[in-house]
Amino acid sequence: MDRDLLRQSVACHGHPLFSLLKSEQCENPDFQCVLGDLSKTVHYRKEKKSGNGVVEQFIARKADLLFAPSWKPDGSLINEDEMAETYAVMPPLEQFMEVASCDRRDIFFRDLERGDVVIGRINSIREFGFFLTLICLKTGLIRDIEDLEITALCPLRDVPSLGTHEDPLSYYHIGDLIQAGVKDIDRYHAKLTVSLQSSSLPPDLSHLKLGVISVDDMPAHYRLSVDVSSSTTETYENVLQNTTGFANPSVVEFLLGKLGLSETEPPSLMRGLQSKNFLEDDYWKSIRKKQSASWALKCVKIGVDHFKSGRHVEAMNEYNKALEIDTCNVEALVARGALYATKGSLSKAIEDFELALENCSTHRNAKKYLCQTLVERGRQLEDEEKLVTAEGLYRKALALDETFQEAEEALRKLQKHIQEAAKEKEKHKTVKTSAKTIFYSIQKKRKRSSSSTSSSTSSSADSSSSSHKKGKKRKRKHSDSSVRDKKHICKADSLEGRSVDGKEELYPLPTNTSASFMNREITDEIKWQEKSVLQMDVFKGKGYSRSMSSSSVEIVEDGRGRSDDSIDSFHSSKVYAFTSKGKTRYSLDGKYPDYKYNPPNPLHDKRREKDKEELSIISKHHSQDLSTNYDLSRNFDKSRSRKYSSSSVGSEYSHTSDRYGNKQRDSYSQDNNSSKSYTGKHNLEDKDNSNQGNKRNSVSGAKLHNEESMLPVDRKKNSTSVPETSSKRSLPSNLLDIFSQIAQFEKEKCIKK
Amino acid sequence: METETVHKGEHFKGLVSAEPDPAKTHFRVCRFIIEAGIKLGMHSVPIATACTIYHRFFQTCTLEVYEPYLVAMSAIYLAGKVEEQHLRTRDIINVCHRYLNSKSDPLELDTHFWDLRDSIVQCELLVLRVLNFQVSFQHPHKFLLHYLISLKNLMNRHAWARTPITVTAWALLRDSYHGTLCLRYPPQHIAVAVLYLALQTYGVDVLGGTESGKRWWQVFSEDITKPTIDNIISELTQLYDMDSKCTLI
Repeated sequence: MDRDLLRQSVACHGHPLFSLLKSEQCENPDFQCVLGDLSKTVHYRKEKKSGNGVVEQFIARKADLLFAPSWKPDGSLINEDEMAETYAVMPPLEQFMEVASCDRRDIFFRDLERGDVVIGRINSIREFGFFLTLICLKTGLIRDIEDLEITALCPLRDVPSLGTHEDPLSYYHIGDLIQAGVKDIDRYHAKLTVSLQSSSLPPDLSHLKLGVISVDDMPAHYRLSVDVSSSTTETYENVLQNTTGFANPSVVEFLLGKLGLSETEPPSLMRGLQSKNFLEDDYWKSIRKKQSASWALKCVKIGVDHFKSGRHVEAMNEYNKALEIDTCNVEALVARGALYATKGSLSKAIEDFELALENCSTHRNAKKYLCQTLVERGRQLEDEEKLVTAEGLYRKALALDETFQEAEEALRKLQKHIQEAAKEKEKHKTVKTSAKTIFYSIQKKRKRSSSSTSSSTSSSADSSSSSHKKGKKRKRKHSDSSVRDKKHICKADSLEGRSVDGKEELYPLPTNTSASFMNREITDEIKWQEKSVLQMDVFKGKGYSRSMSSSSVEIVEDGRGRSDDSIDSFHSSKVYAFTSKGKTRYSLDGKYPDYKYNPPNPLHDKRREKDKEELSIISKHHSQDLSTNYDLSRNFDKSRSRKYSSSSVGSEYSHTSDRYGNKQRDSYSQDNNSSKSYTGKHNLEDKDNSNQGNKRNSVSGAKLHNEESMLPVDRKKNSTSVPETSSKRSLPSNLLDIFSQIAQFEKEKCIKK
Repeated sequence: METETVHKGEHFKGLVSAEPDPAKTHFRVCRFIIEAGIKLGMHSVPIATACTIYHRFFQTCTLEVYEPYLVAMSAIYLAGKVEEQHLRTRDIINVCHRYLNSKSDPLELDTHFWDLRDSIVQCELLVLRVLNFQVSFQHPHKFLLHYLISLKNLMNRHAWARTPITVTAWALLRDSYHGTLCLRYPPQHIAVAVLYLALQTYGVDVLGGTESGKRWWQVFSEDITKPTIDNIISELTQLYDMDSKCTLI
């Protein structure tokens, strides 16, 4: 209990209240504490006529509430920046009360404090400062003081110097309106000192401008009080009702805030209305929440019934309705997630499950389903070769449920897979370090292959056999292939035309372009290799040379297909090739007579021949297996293949060469194979070439005829393979370096010659 | 037909057992309005309007014919509209149901619920007709707040800050709606009276003694007299007596 307040009250109401308090609050321990204190007060009170005792009775009964510390007094009011119109700013109350001027002067000096802002008029200026006659107060108090003739001194040291004036006082004149902060109050002698320095103001008022002001700057309450004093009939009520602020519909809210009253926990003196005793559960929000939850649950149940009887659309509608009613209903989320999962929308399902777990981290079904879906999705990703993402999902699933076997297994498998891939990569790298030699070997081989048709076909068989395990080719394509083969041949001619160009380019290899092409193609190639881990054995055998060849070919391809400058380079290279090709070859051969990796070609060829028979069968498998992968990679390569199509032949390639492309993908060596197989048809192609030349791009043109036709094959193959392989592009940079070095080297060679 | 629909509200009957004293019933129902209003997040003025609507309704109608709690719910709904603090019938039904059946689970949103809602809306129309569609009132609230600001400026700011006059006056004003004071006195008088009682409670003297000029309350309301203030205060204190009587039963 607030002792001071209680004492004040008892002092006012005297003995009747005291005795009533004693009887009413006898059970209140707080009151017992202050009892002794109060009894003293009662004796000193001045006798005063009390009313009918109603008020005392009321105070006594409600004393525990009225004097409770939690019965908060007003928070200190924010100094009013008079926002006109938000509420009715009224002239000082005493103006209507006809209070004697001596009383007003007394309470003015009693209540005025340092930091209050007063407004006055200069009545005299002396060398030590100037005197103000106060008119009104700007902040702190709102009092009617104009007729009290209160003077205040503003000493010289509190007048800020304005620079241009030697004497700051010369700036001020008698009659100026001055706004000043109260600096010192001598209550006994009724003397005031004010200051124009802003340091005299409290921090929250420091924005107020001190010094000379105009009439317009006078506060609203002063202007009103001038009106009131000029008329004798004006009443408080009239003034109040006529202000616009009083009509403001939100005036109550505004003033409640200003006075520090709460609408959410409104005060009451009724015992049963102590809002602090209300239960949170009884408020509308929590009831509504509960109700919505149970309503949503009902919908979920209906939805589950639908689901069980296979009406998936209806089920989904119910779940969505439930989630509309209760946005984060866990059951609805889980149910919808399950429905999504069964419908194959795994990502959506995962989203729902995760949201459900966010809202209720212990929901068992949500956890279980999420784990399963994550693993499922992981598998999907694995199939899409997004191994890292898949791994992340497995890990997530394991993090949710450590005992989840499936996830653990899947993760283990995947990691193994990744490791193998990494090893493979390693090997590959080491291989590539000797890329230079390989490069030459490839070239050699190519030349050879052009001459030996049989070997090429066999090689293709090889590659297909090696790769059939993983690859899936499209059945359809395969079946078509026989028909297409013919087409191929025809087209191959046209291709050849170009590929010849490409080939030529190979030999001299213009540095810049070739390097860049290589980068791309090779990256693709290598990525591809990574992918087809399973074909390692093949790779080991003949892969090096083949892969190299393929890559080189592709480079050519790329260059042709792509951009103007590359084409330019083409032309130049072509020209060069015509003249120098033979030479280069020779020189190359001579220089590197014993390159390590070049497999003995005769052997190779033989082997291929053996495999030849298998080819048809295997390739079938192959096409089936690969189909999925193929599609994917195709998508990825869309942009690329488009580029190719820009060259007239390109589109045809994509058409006709599916088969080849697939093969190539599976094994590095495929390039070789296919190229060889084409070379096998080479003769035909040569013939057709002349016919097809019209169709061809200007680039590929007539030069082809002159050229050896081995290249066309490669080219064709390349073009087909590119879209697929390009999807995987990440070649170790050192490899790239090596290749560019090779290119440079070659160029130098050519120049020399 | 009106009574018919209103009688649908009998779900809420039962609590209003045969109460011999209608004053007590009205007190309880007003308590119901105020408490439900707080739980619905209603502000003071809408609650005051709801209580006034309720009191006005039962000035002309009797408890024998109309179910008071249903009228109260409609009054809450209507007051929300009048005072631009819209409430949803679903929340009103929920909170009121929970008030009348404490600790119960929220109602299911079935036909029973929609019947309740219909009866509230029907009853709202009835109330409107009974009140001749005059449902906007001038409440003492904004008078009181302006009086408080004016008075504060006349007081010593430290004394004012120490004394919970504002809270007390506001609480008294809100509590006054348990009774029919709002129907019988102009808002200014009620505002002055609650302020007077608040000042008395803490023994605060306002400048302007008997010897010179007008008293502060005379300034606020020209036509108010000391007996009026005393009457209001005495009625107000009786409401608090009623509080203890009704809660004891």
